[in-house]
Amino acid sequence: MGATEHGLPVTGGRETASEVWRLSRGYRLRLAAVGLLGIVSTGVDLIPPVAIGFLVDRVQTGTADLGTVLTVTAVMALSALLGAAGTAVTIVLATRVYHTILATLRERLVGRAMTLPQHRVERAGTGDLISRSSDDVTAVADAAPAVIPVLTVTAFTIVVSLGGLAALDWPYAAAFAVVLPVYALAMRWYLRTGPRVYRAERAAMSARAQQLLESQRGYATVLGFGLADQRHRAVMTNSWSVAVQALRARTVQSMLNARLNLGECLSLAAVLVVGFVLIDHGASTVGGATTAMLLVLRLLGPVNQLLFVIDTLQSALASLSRMIGVVTIPAADAADASTTPSDLATAVRLREVAFRYGDGPPVLDDIGLDIPAGQHLAVVGPSGAGKTTLAAVIAGVHRPDAGTVTRPRRTAVITQEVHVFAGTLRDNLTLAAPDATDRDLRAALDTTGAADLLDQLADALDTVVGAGGHPLTEAQAQQLALARLLLADPELAILDEATAEAGSAHAEQLDRASEAVLAGRTGIVIAHRLSQAATCDRIVVMDAGRVIETGTHDELIAAGGTYARLWAVWQAGQHTSTIR
Amino acid sequence: MPTELTDAAGCSDADPAGLGRGPLTRRLPVLLHAPAQPPEAGPFEAAAGITPGRFLLRVILSVKRVTVPAMLLAIVWQVGESAVPVVMGVAIDRALATGDTAQLVLWLGVLVALYIVLTVAAKLANRLTAYAVQLLQHRLRSTLSTGVLHPAGGAARAPDGSVVSVMTSDVARLANAGILVILPISRIAAIGFIAVSLLATHWLLGLVVLVGAPVAVWSMGVLSRRLSQDTREYQGLLASTVGRATDLVAGYRVVKGLRAEAEATRRYREASQETLVGAKRNAGLLGRFLVGSGAVTGAFVAAVMGLAGWFAVDGQLSVGGLIAAVGLTQALLPQIQSIANASIPNLAGGLASSARVIDVLRGADSGNRGPDDAACDEVAPLPVLEVFAPGATIRVEPGELVAVRADDRTAARIAATLLDPRAGGEVEVRLDGRAARELTADEYRSRVTVAPHRATLFSGTIRDNLTVRGGGPERVEAAVRAAACDDFAADLDVPVGEGGNRLSGGQRQRVALARALASDAPVLVLHDPTTAVDSVTEHAIAGRLRGVRAGRSTLLIASSPVLLGCCDRVVDVLADAPVGEGAAR
Repeated sequence: MGATEHGLPVTGGRETASEVWRLSRGYRLRLAAVGLLGIVSTGVDLIPPVAIGFLVDRVQTGTADLGTVLTVTAVMALSALLGAAGTAVTIVLATRVYHTILATLRERLVGRAMTLPQHRVERAGTGDLISRSSDDVTAVADAAPAVIPVLTVTAFTIVVSLGGLAALDWPYAAAFAVVLPVYALAMRWYLRTGPRVYRAERAAMSARAQQLLESQRGYATVLGFGLADQRHRAVMTNSWSVAVQALRARTVQSMLNARLNLGECLSLAAVLVVGFVLIDHGASTVGGATTAMLLVLRLLGPVNQLLFVIDTLQSALASLSRMIGVVTIPAADAADASTTPSDLATAVRLREVAFRYGDGPPVLDDIGLDIPAGQHLAVVGPSGAGKTTLAAVIAGVHRPDAGTVTRPRRTAVITQEVHVFAGTLRDNLTLAAPDATDRDLRAALDTTGAADLLDQLADALDTVVGAGGHPLTEAQAQQLALARLLLADPELAILDEATAEAGSAHAEQLDRASEAVLAGRTGIVIAHRLSQAATCDRIVVMDAGRVIETGTHDELIAAGGTYARLWAVWQAGQHTSTIR
Repeated sequence: MPTELTDAAGCSDADPAGLGRGPLTRRLPVLLHAPAQPPEAGPFEAAAGITPGRFLLRVILSVKRVTVPAMLLAIVWQVGESAVPVVMGVAIDRALATGDTAQLVLWLGVLVALYIVLTVAAKLANRLTAYAVQLLQHRLRSTLSTGVLHPAGGAARAPDGSVVSVMTSDVARLANAGILVILPISRIAAIGFIAVSLLATHWLLGLVVLVGAPVAVWSMGVLSRRLSQDTREYQGLLASTVGRATDLVAGYRVVKGLRAEAEATRRYREASQETLVGAKRNAGLLGRFLVGSGAVTGAFVAAVMGLAGWFAVDGQLSVGGLIAAVGLTQALLPQIQSIANASIPNLAGGLASSARVIDVLRGADSGNRGPDDAACDEVAPLPVLEVFAPGATIRVEPGELVAVRADDRTAARIAATLLDPRAGGEVEVRLDGRAARELTADEYRSRVTVAPHRATLFSGTIRDNLTVRGGGPERVEAAVRAAACDDFAADLDVPVGEGGNRLSGGQRQRVALARALASDAPVLVLHDPTTAVDSVTEHAIAGRLRGVRAGRSTLLIASSPVLLGCCDRVVDVLADAPVGEGAAR
């Protein structure tokens, strides 16, 4: 399994094939039937050219009558209908199996992604996972209409037509085989040139989409800074660079077309020459030559199709390898190094915990901490002190490099990054508690001070929020996040600057909400506003990855250390606003 | 030719054009390569009341100088393709049936010549077609960019996410309709050629094709309608499933934080299974279409062949004529299939996209726009800013640093009006006593810069973001220091990532503040610029704000006590508090 340093793995060709084989379990009999049906129906498709050749010969020898014509016409019509029906059934069955396997695969992909250790995903970047679960899934699904007919009908058509040609008179097939190197060379050239040019085209397209998206998302910024003209020019530059790449790609396609035309021309010329010699020696008839011409003519379309689709097939396979790469990450990787507490009085226990990101400097150094069950602990300190990392280590997001971490089994974290999922407000809340009733949901919103949110929304709990839905303010999104946490009902709740984003106009309200959420459980608050820290049972002050002070608010103020200084600064800010 | 030829000679690179050409051909100029600079093109007009059909027509007829040559070349190409079976038929009749070597050589020569002509015509036609489509796309995108995404004076309402899909998918579909004046016409010409050739062999055969081909195209079009409609539905389902996965992964931390992995997976599976049902239904419809179109074309070909066979038996047609008829009928099939399977859906898709593009363009136009060229010299370069909000008036004298404290909703309303004074509402903005909505966009923006609370960083480096409005290195340096970015922005040339995602929330906000400060605007409006910044850093920022804005006016919409503390005056616009104004110092 290949993987970049921190990226998620991508499987090799053999592993991909064996995983696809495993996934096909239960459909193999059907797939075999599809193959058989494909061969039979392309065989049926051979009947019309043979019938026409037969008719030509009978006309030439003067042995044809109305009955011959009617019979040939009926055979042609019937075989066309049967061939079309057989082909259609083949493609339908193959497409259904394809999509069923793809659905299984994408569900396993998302399921595996959700159970991967978070540190693993964060190291690789969620962007990688997003692109695998969206771009790659779409690429494999979109390849179906192009790839399936080629893998079933087209390939069989080529084989069966060549077989027919050989059965007719083997020199015709040999003549066609002589032209094969031309096709082989064309394919080699295309595989060397095409993917690179298409990749450049797709890269230009995603750069363009990103520019558009940034202008749309950053509409207020563009307007406020008067950047409309500048952004317009940037978008247009990107738009034209897509045009340049697209024209390059079409140029490559037309170059491939020219090469395919060369193959076509040579094949037809070969049929004429071979037919000429064969008829001259009495080994074939004019009707036979006509059939050979028709067979070669109907062979050319599929051959061209096959060459054109190889590129799609290749990129679908690349996407498949990226999807299977995630699906096959062994579950052992997810093993959790932490333990649940043995004595019920202490909810969290850290012993000599150290942590660093990759090869970076130590972010946490020799941290020891005990939090009795039910206690609320505040962690304060300047930016970069390691507060968020400490929260992540306690929550199990990061595994410590050294030391031990003990925490309750049901631990939940909410961070500053509140995400509102696309869907109804109810969907957003029940994510944490699938069995919660509407009454529970209303109660949770009430507790977090978001009861008035329901009154503002036209469809109450059924209002669609998140991307494309009703926009929520930062404060509302945070209330929603707190309500979710309340519904999840964990033993240990960690709030990592969970109420920081809102303006101070809502600070008090959110502080009250987080207090309500923490009531009756063990809590860790990474505090942004010191007013929040002051209400906690105990405060830990961090600096440069170490705990430098610990105690109650009053103890720390009395000690006159870092916390006391931070508090003074904070108070000074409050002061200026209250004296007026 | 509308494009310039790029000469690759002189490049020492092994394959200068990157097209995988061999050592003999790589030095040849690439015909019809795209020019490096986009051609200038004005926006499309979408006058009120224009129908999607008319707009589509206007769009596809706008590049005639490219599409007409492309169409002529495509006719040569398609007629050439149709002539291949004819030439083969004649060759079999004249050379193979007679055993005449001279005839064989002659017809082989004709075959090769035909292929050369049709290959060259196809090559040029394809490239011109691609060029026409790209030109149309570019011009449509330009129209939408100036009209909707980047309107000079602000739009009636901010464009929603759909504008991105309109500017990519719908523009592509609408521009693809440009092919309609090239390929289908050449295919119809080829069908005409086939019909005329058959007329020459036997009048009834020609007539059957002239009547039968349109009927076949029509019936296949009818058959494909249900399929293409369902395909769009299925693609919508797929897109929503993919969107759900993206949404879940984007909210990864929330899902993990709440231990909701199983529930999230269950929800995705639900969406995925719904899409699977759609995909299976779509496959069934595809099958039905394949059977239907196979039956139509099979019956048609069999009928023509039967007729030709009967004429041959009857002596009205020679064997050569029969073979030619066979070849021509064979050539008819791809033409009928392409018109039915490609051109008709292309037209339908183009019309649907045309309607969406018109909708988006109109939505942007419907706002209450002010004058565009009201020349006015009454507004000083550094004007007095007045904001009339319900219950309070905020006045910022030149050089002052004034704060507004308001509840969330009022603050948002004030910020929105400052952002776009023409948007209307109960807040009014004046510069030197003149209503801002009467100023041109240029006059207003050159004086007032608004840094919104939800600031967006553009991809590029920190420096790229700081210099969006120009500004020398000293200004950038001063802004970086004032916004307290020095701890992480020692190197300004590191990329910020998509939407600034390589920075933490607090860092993003500080870069956005630095960008606002670096803009050096006469009047700068800052809306809650430090909500994600810790209190120590916020204090530092508050202390430096006055210095970096010295000599210019600043309006701060904020509720943070630390920030309010550094201002000359604080104006309270609290909904439930008595309106007051007081000096902080």
